[in-house]
Amino acid sequence: TPLGPARSLPQSFLLKCLEQVRKIQADGAELQERLCAAHKLCHPEELMLLRHSLGIPQAPLSSCSSQSLQLTSCLNQLHGGLFLYQGLLQALAGISPELAPTLDTLQLDVTDFATNIWLQMEDLGAAPAVQPTQGAMPTFTSAFQRRAGGVLVASQLHRFLELAYRGLRYLAEP
Amino acid sequence: EQCGHILLSAPIVRLGDQVTASCFITRNCSHLGTDWRVVWKLEPELHPRERRQHLPNGTLQSTITLPHLNHSRVLLSCCLHWGNSLQILDQAELQAGYPPTAPYNLSCIMNLTTNSLICQWEPGPDTHLSTSFTLKSFKSQDKCQTQKDSIPDCVPEVGQSHCSIPRKHLQLYQNMSIWVQARNALGTSASPKLCLAPMDVVKLEPPTLWALEPSPAVVPPQPGCLRLRWETWRPSLYIEQKCELRHQPRLGEAGWDLVSALPARTSQYELCGLLPSTAYTLQMRCTRWRLPGHWSEWSPSLELTTAQ
Repeated sequence: TPLGPARSLPQSFLLKCLEQVRKIQADGAELQERLCAAHKLCHPEELMLLRHSLGIPQAPLSSCSSQSLQLTSCLNQLHGGLFLYQGLLQALAGISPELAPTLDTLQLDVTDFATNIWLQMEDLGAAPAVQPTQGAMPTFTSAFQRRAGGVLVASQLHRFLELAYRGLRYLAEP
Repeated sequence: EQCGHILLSAPIVRLGDQVTASCFITRNCSHLGTDWRVVWKLEPELHPRERRQHLPNGTLQSTITLPHLNHSRVLLSCCLHWGNSLQILDQAELQAGYPPTAPYNLSCIMNLTTNSLICQWEPGPDTHLSTSFTLKSFKSQDKCQTQKDSIPDCVPEVGQSHCSIPRKHLQLYQNMSIWVQARNALGTSASPKLCLAPMDVVKLEPPTLWALEPSPAVVPPQPGCLRLRWETWRPSLYIEQKCELRHQPRLGEAGWDLVSALPARTSQYELCGLLPSTAYTLQMRCTRWRLPGHWSEWSPSLELTTAQ
């Protein structure tokens, strides 16, 4: 069954992952709250056209859905997505002095989570031979684009983590 | 050029060791004539053995020996008794102490308020010398046998026995090796090493306890019961936790009673089995749970009185 190797995942690893997802979502929520309060950028739906023009890539997580969970592929997609968000958050650097600490914490936590996933894949002998390399990142050319990009990336990350959380919780079920 | 200068066998020695100091009176002092003699002044006052010798180049060398230096600081002055005045030619400070012993009782706590790993230790006995302490660490991807990434040294403020490693140097869910190094002029020592993941030593702030306001929608509590609610510390909402509640009558000698394994938050909790119409003091604490962590401090007290 797709879950065969899942039984080899340590429970403590899964508990840490669930905690890290919740932590990153809390960081992301704080960034969105601050962007809303300071710049009235409160709804990603109002930035659909901008998203399209900026070309913010999305990360697939199809292998983590509980209906068709493929453990190795799920971990690989999860790491790939987190790696992508590391790059997107890096591209937002210079967003604003007030938001910089929140963005730094979010970036550190995403990086921590990506590292944990990668190490677990190595333990399972399922890590790709080569670390992924960052693809083309959007270029945010104005303060407005960085802030709007912050809203878009944070909301996209939140949805990505929701899917990840369901998959991880499914894996953590006794 | 100075007509006299001091040379020490060693500026810093172990307490109890022997020390010699020489003062060289060069021919640059010849303009003083011959009516002078070397005088050593020591602070605190000591009475070392002295011997003098004239070197081939005409320099006078006066050497004093302190067989067992048992003061941590001695100020030496090489002087000339010249005419009826005392001229200070040179000064030197002698220090004595001990090499540092290994710091001990190293412990660390992940503080989510400052977002840093705060480590503290016992420095060990006074060395009588200027001794620096450095918190050293590295990231590891195993049980701290091998170093993956280095972490900058954490240098505490002078005289402090604690240091904070900021979040940007931490991987919260990976092991890191941590130890304290002590160093002074006489040697170096290191504490035993810790191997921990920062989040596994997280210490939360206490939860907040509230009385449950009586309301028409809620049946009044039974005699000997209290109704309350609590909420964990907001920055820790993402952490799965368990809590425990302790209570004692405000008056009298009764000790604390403990209710453990309580959930992290509840909108309504009824505590029964208490004395009726009695004032109680309640406190709560929480800890990260199923994953490791430290208990928070007890919350501020909540004072409630049971129904009649």
